[in-house]
Amino acid sequence: MTIQLVDVTMRDGNQSLWGATGLNSAHMLQAAALTERAGFRAVDFTSSSHMAVAVRYFQNNPWERIRRMRAAMPTTPMQFITTGLRFIAWQQADPEFMRLVYRRLQANGIRRFVILDPMHEVPAVIAAARIVKEEGDAEVMGALTFTLSDVHDDAFYAGFAKALAASPDIDLFYLKDPSGLMSVDRVRTLAPAVKAVIGNRPLEIHAHNTLGLGELSSLEAAKLGISAIHVGIGPGGDGSSLPEAERMVANLIEAGHDVAIDRDVLAQLSAYWTRLAQAEGLPPGTPQAFDASFLRHQIAGGVMTTTKRQLEELGMGDKLSAVIAETEQVRAELGYPIMVTPFPQMVMSQALFNVIGTRRYAQVSDQVIRYVLGKFGKPTNPVDRTVLAAILDRPQARALADEDDFPTLADLRKRFGATMEDEEFLLRAVMPGDQVDAMMAAGRSRATCTPEAAPLLALLKQLAARPAARDIVVERPGLRLALHAGTSL
Amino acid sequence: MIRRLFIANRGEIALRIIRTAQRMGIVSILGASEADASSLPAKLADEVVIVGPSPSSRSYLSVEAVIAAAKACDADAIHPGYGFLSENASFARAAASAGIIFVGPAVESLEAMGDKLMARQIGTEAGLPVIPGGEAVDKAAARLRAEVTGYPLLLKAVSGGGGRGMKRVDAPDELDRQIDMAMAEAEAAFGDNRIYVERFITSGRHVEVQVLGDGISAIHLGTRDCSIQRRFQKLVEEAPAPNMPDDKRAGIEAAAVSLARHLNYRGAGTVEFLVDAETFDFYFLEMNARIQVEHPVTEAITGVDLIEQQLLMAGGARLSLTQDMVQPKGHALEVRINAEDWRADFRPSPGTVTRAIWPGGPGIRIDTHMTRGGEVPPFYDSLIGKLIIFGATRDEAVVRLGAALAQLDIEGVDTTRDLHRAIAADARFVAGGVDTRFFEGLAA
Repeated sequence: MTIQLVDVTMRDGNQSLWGATGLNSAHMLQAAALTERAGFRAVDFTSSSHMAVAVRYFQNNPWERIRRMRAAMPTTPMQFITTGLRFIAWQQADPEFMRLVYRRLQANGIRRFVILDPMHEVPAVIAAARIVKEEGDAEVMGALTFTLSDVHDDAFYAGFAKALAASPDIDLFYLKDPSGLMSVDRVRTLAPAVKAVIGNRPLEIHAHNTLGLGELSSLEAAKLGISAIHVGIGPGGDGSSLPEAERMVANLIEAGHDVAIDRDVLAQLSAYWTRLAQAEGLPPGTPQAFDASFLRHQIAGGVMTTTKRQLEELGMGDKLSAVIAETEQVRAELGYPIMVTPFPQMVMSQALFNVIGTRRYAQVSDQVIRYVLGKFGKPTNPVDRTVLAAILDRPQARALADEDDFPTLADLRKRFGATMEDEEFLLRAVMPGDQVDAMMAAGRSRATCTPEAAPLLALLKQLAARPAARDIVVERPGLRLALHAGTSL
Repeated sequence: MIRRLFIANRGEIALRIIRTAQRMGIVSILGASEADASSLPAKLADEVVIVGPSPSSRSYLSVEAVIAAAKACDADAIHPGYGFLSENASFARAAASAGIIFVGPAVESLEAMGDKLMARQIGTEAGLPVIPGGEAVDKAAARLRAEVTGYPLLLKAVSGGGGRGMKRVDAPDELDRQIDMAMAEAEAAFGDNRIYVERFITSGRHVEVQVLGDGISAIHLGTRDCSIQRRFQKLVEEAPAPNMPDDKRAGIEAAAVSLARHLNYRGAGTVEFLVDAETFDFYFLEMNARIQVEHPVTEAITGVDLIEQQLLMAGGARLSLTQDMVQPKGHALEVRINAEDWRADFRPSPGTVTRAIWPGGPGIRIDTHMTRGGEVPPFYDSLIGKLIIFGATRDEAVVRLGAALAQLDIEGVDTTRDLHRAIAADARFVAGGVDTRFFEGLAA
């Protein structure tokens, strides 16, 4: 069977390796035509967080980014990933607000939605899928978010997939392994268990290569009737991102599969991302060594590094192993939240408070309180009763229980004026006004990007910042260019 | 999918096409004449083949030479640019026979729009308003037509284009003499002496609409105003057409889309209208079934790469842009810098460019193939570059245009720079919305 590829470079690669702030609109637009020509099944393109980053860091209009990418990619569906009912703000939004979000996303060219509910709440996913379908004809892919826990066994995923498959609004599924925990052995039982309950709907695999397992489990999945494998291209693959695309293609071909990709174009695209990553100082993903302890604590690299640094700043560097052990404990007590954003930060911070504080759960963050209050959705497994009581027995818990929900669409419209254009309104409703102002003032982004020019532009900017410099020397092997200011006519 | 694109053109448009093709990962092959063998497009293309000697009749205008060259280098598509063979239906047919994709509309669309009379008839069928008038095979027929249209009127060659052979007649006593001249010129220039008589709108604006189609659906990318012309040759273009009521603009855009849909048009095209500068009533003139010189002003306000869209549509893709996705912003101006001595009746000024300082900065795009040492051959059109100036408002664009022209410095050949400086400083231009008589009133 022919295996298709889904390119995650611009969304998940960018997020896993470059904090979601690595790429601006021009970087992506320059890659659009080659991405289109390579022949991907879809491109994992954006999310509400990425849209916020476009506004905040680059003053790029995220709606315009989608439109212009779509203009250059008529046949490759661009994917938007969402937890279903949130848009940039952490709260669950009014469904009518989300309806407008889904309408504008589809009007601008999003052709595929991933609905990812880390709590695996069936009604929430189906409700979101229905709204998407009512506002356009994009395909909807249900996420089976993988983790290792006492509750997340094959039967759990099969049950979830079967329940979603009852909805006509879910077109396909994928095994989403954000932490790269899925072994070859596990995929051999999990993929058939899911396929058995979803009929003829396709199943894709999205296995991060954090431990080097993603590559092998994806290759194994190819033998099990999976339709598409998610990959990152060149510097946007490997590390904590998805397996690298060109190597995946070579390995699939080696295993006797046909791959629906133009390898020449893929090589050109890979070369572009490599030049860009070099020019912009974006560290490329690298193949990862296996680390058995990760399977136990599941703490992503970024969160681990931050926590380690915080402990060292407190003079408690020796407590790291205690915090890791406590993280496992807290995760169990909170009902095994899947370690995808924002939960890893939430769980490990709680573990840190528990270790360095006087008593466990003496200090609790607002986010943890909101989590146990169900404001992020219903935890997959019940929260430990003693822990729940301890968390809720404080004034802040009562205050947060009573805090205002996300305003209704009608109230927000009133606040921003009924005549404001939908796209501007949606951004202003959830982002600081000055950031939206700056984005609008910046105008349209560039359409092209020449990585080779980046060092020269950086040099010119540096020179322009030093108008008083009287001697400028550029020196490289084989070249010395010296400019000395002096009297002139 | 197009992999090897043959570019059957020269100058700035060849370079423009090469740039987009390279970004798309398409191999660009320039078919150059001997005179252009060391031009900048030839240096920057992935491959170059010589299509023939310098005179365009034996190179860029030779269907046989171009098709043979494209076949020899295994091209799977030909981009004709503008001018030369771009609207030649026989050329498109020859490409198809050779198994090469013609980057342009279907042959039927070229045929429908290549003949002014048929274009007018099809425009009427599509529901577009047209100027009162009609074809005349001889002098007697022309006189009859003139009685219907009234004066002033225009005589045009049926097979003509680019303003060549057009005559304005203000009173009945001039008619016979002008008919003779128009027919003789039409015969000499196009081998077809048929002329066309139509009402002349005294204060008219030339407004055109960019359309994009995929053979099934079509959209527009807004208006352009090209009223600043000399002898029907455009000098300055802008997008959108300034000082036009919203409902009239929407009407003209909708009319253009109707025509494109009626033709099942594929690719980029331009529907030209004459707009009465006082009433804003509009009349369909013709459709240019190709990329236009002035396409960058539309790109500047819409953010759409029109060459890329042409290549995508030619490759068989469906249009992914919807009308809702086209959201023009700001204002763009384009001036054509020609190697001409404009003070000596625009006499061509071929030669070697010894200095070429093109302006730069925010909002400035330069489309040129001319750098220091570049040759302006005597064989072709004298366009050496275009300044495309963008501003958040028209006022900002006009100020930027003045500053950009002040920076522009070309030596070795005469250029139209100072003419454009005079235009940019003209109060009527600054105010915006001039009619096609602008050039006559220019104090330069």
